[in-house]
Amino acid sequence: MSKWQKQIRAWVSRYFDLPSDVMLDLPRITTIGSIHLYIENHTGLLHFSDQEIRIQYKQGQVRILGKDLGVKMMLKEELLLEGTLKSVEFLPD
Amino acid sequence: MKNQQDFFQGLMTIRIKGKLLEAFVQACTKRGCKIYDMKRISHEEIVLTILWKDFKIWKQLRRKYKCKVFLEKGQGVPFLLQGLFRKNALLIAFCLAIVLVFLLANTLWSVEIKGINPELEAAVEEKLDSYGVSPGKLLLTMHEPGAIQKKLLDDLPDLLWIGVKKQGTSYHLYGVEKTRHDKDDQNQPADLVASKKGMIIKPFIKKGRPLVSVYDVVKKGQRLATGQLVDEEKAFVHAEGEVIAETWYKVEQTLPVKQVFQLTEGTHHKKYEVSIGSFAFPIWGWWKEGNFREEQKVYSLEVLRWKPPVHVKRIDLYEIDDASVRFSEKQLMEKGVQFAMESLKQQLKKDSIIKDEKVLHHGVENGKVKLILLFKVHEDIAMTKYISQGD
Repeated sequence: MSKWQKQIRAWVSRYFDLPSDVMLDLPRITTIGSIHLYIENHTGLLHFSDQEIRIQYKQGQVRILGKDLGVKMMLKEELLLEGTLKSVEFLPD
Repeated sequence: MKNQQDFFQGLMTIRIKGKLLEAFVQACTKRGCKIYDMKRISHEEIVLTILWKDFKIWKQLRRKYKCKVFLEKGQGVPFLLQGLFRKNALLIAFCLAIVLVFLLANTLWSVEIKGINPELEAAVEEKLDSYGVSPGKLLLTMHEPGAIQKKLLDDLPDLLWIGVKKQGTSYHLYGVEKTRHDKDDQNQPADLVASKKGMIIKPFIKKGRPLVSVYDVVKKGQRLATGQLVDEEKAFVHAEGEVIAETWYKVEQTLPVKQVFQLTEGTHHKKYEVSIGSFAFPIWGWWKEGNFREEQKVYSLEVLRWKPPVHVKRIDLYEIDDASVRFSEKQLMEKGVQFAMESLKQQLKKDSIIKDEKVLHHGVENGKVKLILLFKVHEDIAMTKYISQGD
């Protein structure tokens, strides 16, 4: 995606008050306390273990740290994690 | 979330061993697979639950990612069915049991006859046997109780009435014997009277005193012979005899000039339907179209006293051809006379003779031929009438 296109999209989403996850291809992450994490609009599962899960999205990676992590459900662009969450970190490219 | 639909489609828990686990899982989800409950159990092994219908995708891709897939367990309807079918003996036994229950429930176990003497009872039993109604036979092949009742009454003249009741797998019959009173009737004093108007042709009085002679015209109810042998004396007999008289019948007959006949050709088709409750769906022969006369026969099963709402219906179709025929007036007259004669013959006693017929009037109106016919008939008009002696 060119820089110019990105700028246009950011402007459109701001001007028309559209949800930014749709316009900017960003993941939408929802957590329920620290026991569930729901992530939409991801592009892939990079790493998966009890303590750490790394997920790819369009412009970078998300790293989730925790204890006893497991994938409750996984679809093409959705992921539901459960376990004890400690942190969610964004690692842009 | 795992839901009802997934349960019906079938779920399987698999274990994957390999180095490129994440990539493998990712590739499969890209192809549309759903994953549930994924857990890592060791460095190179994960356990997850997938849909049964997605399993072929996993098998296709596993080689590319150099992973090994092990099946841990299956859940859901397809696996339950598979398990059931694997136990062949159980399934066969189950089917046999159902068939057996149906057969036993549709077998006649006992026939009970009440109310008649042993002699007649044996006769009834023998007749029932000849209709195929005997213990150990299938109820399906038997006639309805009503039909059996009718047959028994037709075949055994000594039976006044017989009730046939089907109670589950047994038949209960209750008969009433005829008591004959004919002999008593023969001895009671009686007159002979005319049952209709006519001219006496041949009086033949066996017993009693004749009151009429040849060529007398008698009215209905007129005495032909009396049982009182001497006037004003109490010497009575039962008057008996035959009085042949000439009677007259006027018959009106209307016949259409143009007649449409429905002729049944030899062609015969069969159609089968299964109906569950009020819903019927055809199994065989539904494609037949044309001009048919239909005859239906319904077969139904019975379990204990319960009739399952499942019926098999056989419909026999006979192809018919409409033929319209125009008759000339002369032909119609001949036909009219013939029809009238035949219908008259049915009304008359057996030994009556139609002596003569005469067309009184004929005319054509509104495409119909109207005939008025007069028939001359020789028949027995004697009728027994008991004399009331006031005691």
